[in-house]
Amino acid sequence: MIGGLFIYNHKGEVLISRVYRDDIGRNAVDAFRVNVIHARQQVRSPVTNIARTSFFHVKRSNIWLAAVTKQNVNAAMVFEFLYKMCDVMTAYFGKISEENIKNNFVLIYELLDEILDFGYPQNSETGALKTFITQQGIKGQHQTKEEQSQITSQVTGQIGWRREGIKYRRNELFLDVLESVNLLMSPQGQVLSAHVSGRVVMKSYLSGMPECKFGMNDKIVIDKQGKGGASDEAGKSGKQSIAIDDCTFHQCVRLSKFDSERSISFIPPDGEYELMRYRTTKDIILPFRVIPLVREVGRTKLEVKVVIKSNFKPSLLAQKIEVRIPTPLNTSGVQVICMKGKAKYKASENAIVWKIKRMAGMKESQISAEIELLPTNDKKKWARPPISMNFEVPFAPSGLKVRYLKVFESKLNYSDHDVIKWVRYIGRSGIYETRC
Amino acid sequence: MPYLGGEDTVRELRRALSNPNVQSDQLRYRNTILKVIRAMSQGVDVSGLFSDMVKACATVDIVQKKLVYVFLCSYAALNPELSLLVINTLRKDCQDPNPMVRSLALRNMTNLRLPSLMEYVEQPLTAGLRDRAACVRRVAVLGWAKLHNLQPNSEIDAAVVNELYSLLRDPDPVVMVNCLRALEEILKEEGGIAINKPITHHLLNRLKESDVWGQCEVLRILQRYRPQSEDELFDILSLLDASLVSPHPQVMAATLSLFLSLCSGLPAVSLAALERVRGPLLAACGSVSRELRFTALCHIQLLLRSLPGLMGAHYKRFFCGYAEPAYIKQRKMQVLVELVNDDNVTMLLDELKGYCTDVNTDTAQAAISAIGRIGRSYSDRCLEILTGLLALKQEHITSAVVQTMRDLVWVCPQCSDTVCLALEGCEETLQDSQGRQALLWLLGVYGEQVSSAPYTLEVFIDGVRSEVSLGVKMELLTTTMRLFLCRPAETQDMLGRLLHYCIEEEPDMCVRDQALLYYRLLHCGIEETQKVLQGRRSDPSLGVLIGRPSEPISQWACSFNTLEPLRQGTVETDSTISASRCTDASADVPASSIAAPLSLSLSPALSPEEFERLWLQRQVLHSEQEQIQFPAIPHCSPQSLQAAMQLVNIQTLAFTPPHTLPWRVYLYTHTQHAGDSPHITLILGELLYTGEEELKVTLKQQPRDDKALKGFLSILTTVLHTLVTQLVWFIAR
Repeated sequence: MIGGLFIYNHKGEVLISRVYRDDIGRNAVDAFRVNVIHARQQVRSPVTNIARTSFFHVKRSNIWLAAVTKQNVNAAMVFEFLYKMCDVMTAYFGKISEENIKNNFVLIYELLDEILDFGYPQNSETGALKTFITQQGIKGQHQTKEEQSQITSQVTGQIGWRREGIKYRRNELFLDVLESVNLLMSPQGQVLSAHVSGRVVMKSYLSGMPECKFGMNDKIVIDKQGKGGASDEAGKSGKQSIAIDDCTFHQCVRLSKFDSERSISFIPPDGEYELMRYRTTKDIILPFRVIPLVREVGRTKLEVKVVIKSNFKPSLLAQKIEVRIPTPLNTSGVQVICMKGKAKYKASENAIVWKIKRMAGMKESQISAEIELLPTNDKKKWARPPISMNFEVPFAPSGLKVRYLKVFESKLNYSDHDVIKWVRYIGRSGIYETRC
Repeated sequence: MPYLGGEDTVRELRRALSNPNVQSDQLRYRNTILKVIRAMSQGVDVSGLFSDMVKACATVDIVQKKLVYVFLCSYAALNPELSLLVINTLRKDCQDPNPMVRSLALRNMTNLRLPSLMEYVEQPLTAGLRDRAACVRRVAVLGWAKLHNLQPNSEIDAAVVNELYSLLRDPDPVVMVNCLRALEEILKEEGGIAINKPITHHLLNRLKESDVWGQCEVLRILQRYRPQSEDELFDILSLLDASLVSPHPQVMAATLSLFLSLCSGLPAVSLAALERVRGPLLAACGSVSRELRFTALCHIQLLLRSLPGLMGAHYKRFFCGYAEPAYIKQRKMQVLVELVNDDNVTMLLDELKGYCTDVNTDTAQAAISAIGRIGRSYSDRCLEILTGLLALKQEHITSAVVQTMRDLVWVCPQCSDTVCLALEGCEETLQDSQGRQALLWLLGVYGEQVSSAPYTLEVFIDGVRSEVSLGVKMELLTTTMRLFLCRPAETQDMLGRLLHYCIEEEPDMCVRDQALLYYRLLHCGIEETQKVLQGRRSDPSLGVLIGRPSEPISQWACSFNTLEPLRQGTVETDSTISASRCTDASADVPASSIAAPLSLSLSPALSPEEFERLWLQRQVLHSEQEQIQFPAIPHCSPQSLQAAMQLVNIQTLAFTPPHTLPWRVYLYTHTQHAGDSPHITLILGELLYTGEEELKVTLKQQPRDDKALKGFLSILTTVLHTLVTQLVWFIAR
């Protein structure tokens, strides 16, 4: 259980402090500040023990969130809780920043009261929380009186994440498949590690209590269905199916059904939420390849040539491409020649930043740079940080495809065909690095 | 600034709060209260407004109520008398038709933390347990835990405890889990909530309904349950199988922990469970959030203690990303060291080599010592990398490399030639005391192989006046003494100077005493000095033991999924440092051990019958008795004893179970001298512990060879000593 929760700004000033249990004294707040935030060396561990009290902290931009406990607790649980807390706060007032926290402190106190009672997590679903919380975030819209009176039905009902009697004139839903590709490649072009972590985010504007069924090209499902269906079709779709390493669902998904039939069925919450989160490591389509060439010409000059190759259908366009080529600390001047886009040497970041607005698939582009170095006495070898890359592509690098999303609502008379559905795929770069 | 205008602010707020016009306008009233709360959180002392705020509490507006309650809970402890006024309103709110108001009132009533108000709180809490709205019951259940916490000595009514037990069957899963939590706290003295078969089955069946926090709680509490039959056990296990591969890492970890505690008697099942969680654990290691990654890594380290091969094929998952924080990198390296094998050693060393030049010095040094640890099994490749690093002439890298080499030579004496070659010239880059101490130790022990050793020492001795580190001075003394023994002509003069300085001018008592000791030792003659100073140069038996035998799962199962594994890393790094210091000190101890290395072998194998026959044949064998002081040995498990013995080629044949008296172990081995002609003797041994201080060792030998017997005894004591220190370490944890 959690004994208390503190939020500090980057200077170590306490913005929010909420103590749940008496065993956490007033000095605990200061102990964390002195030992961690103001400590001279880097953070040694996300868990700090000070005088038999454990402090678990996470950092969001320059805000520190620390959970304190005297018990020997399950560390994974406390961290998950802190993430959840961040998610809830983001859902209420957007980015977690000092200003937002100061503006919403009453809301945060209220949230902390509802989410934790006596240090035990009680209720952390944003949807269900909304009915208990009277304050609104800066962005939130005002709550009506009727909504408050509906608490009874929601508190007693089985479905905590959706209230009854929702009506929309147009039944619409939006599905976003958002993925981030992570890559670590050796200079020789060998993939050291690659994985995709993806999320399926759904925005639903549906009336009543609709029952939804979601289908994707997961290997296990396809294989299962392939047995019953025509062998020809199974072979065809089998090629496109993907192997998901692990996935997590929103609490609305019936896990028992997923375990037995691998079908994802659920009653969705209203508005935007994350339906599932998954990870794949096999057969990843790497949208870009980076081929670095670094040559040291004497002690005061460095020649760098970097080629990027796009590796997807020529009809698709990648956007917001940015390649970051690190330069040594003693760089005095850089000359850059690139065929496409714009490249600049940013001395403050010690890197050449090369930006390309758009790039079609199966293309190649190149940059070459001459870096002049100041001669130094420092014998320290340059650590050669990896070349990193950012981009956005309109497909899912894991190969995931949404096959269907069916909506059934038995009480209100609208059918699956009447629902307007939108599907969008966005692949972004996570940590996409090539060593040089 | 609020700090300056505090009193004005309070006066103004009080005027606004008591203004009838404001009170009648709900929105204005609410805004005024909001201002009070804002002032409170900015650090203004607004406790003077307590009575005005109590009045504001009596309202139908929930928003206002909540604001007032935030205020009341923070200042109630300062105004116990005035708080009594609030109780009335709160009790009235507990009757409100709106469940939210009821739960709010109940929660704040228990959050006031005033023992004097307890008598007023009990009645609404009892009513709250039977409320029809789940959210009120949730609050009421935990309310009892809070009451108990407030006055731990007062008994909670048995009827309430019974009611809480019955609420375990509440339709709302959060109420159920809260009941578990409350009962755990209330019944803490009796060892927590009583877990019997019906409760267990009920909880298991409803596990899926609760959220992840609830599931973790239930799984943790169920660890106390002991199934009555094997069938029941397997039913439970198969029911829990789905949560074992749960996508939520915390549920997965809690389930695994439960599995391990349930299957403590069935190692095969525990192993299967560990195999099954490999996937989810690896996934958690690649999770987006670094804190979770760190937690997962710490737990993987724990698993690897029993199953070193578990992650072997997935070593690439533990390669570090450039931007990862240092604490993750260091953990990953510790894991990588465990995963090394013939197939991946090249890749792994290449990777670790890359980390040695990390910007963070701690990470770089951790990488170097990781390479050193791999060097215990792949010494040539590692030494090549280490010597290559010396060429960088970086202060912190050189220091770490020299320390690593010292530790490596201690276990792998065959590396000494390469190390001695590499040492030339690195004294210029060494700055910190740890690194210089390591260099001095190496020079002292391998002085005759390093041609420039006296010159290096001379520089040190010339600078001894400005030396600040105590450790370096002590080490310098010992090294000069040792070097004097093997190269007297070159060293005599500087030894004299050093001793003179240390005895006459040195302000530190420790150094002076050490110098005096050496001075007097030299008076006793060269042979005496040699006996004291020429200790062992290395300890090969230690090297084998450091490739730790895999521990039984039960040794760490109880600390799985707690804070323990996250703390261990720091303990472990400390202990390696102290261990390396020990090696320095132990060299000074007069060595009673053998000069020529002795090798043990198990072949030809001896059957138990033959052993018995030989043991009873007194006349054939030469026998000897020894006493060793290891009172803790009989507490260690037979498996670990056997594994440790086998590593040095001693076969244990039979033992009594641990903790029994008298405790006995029978063992045998064949000894052979390394250099001499094949001269093999058979040694039979019995360890006997009768409950006194000492462990009695009876050894029988055929044919007689006193030297071999002495050698064997020293190996045996080393093994036992290592075991005991490990054991003490575990108990201490």
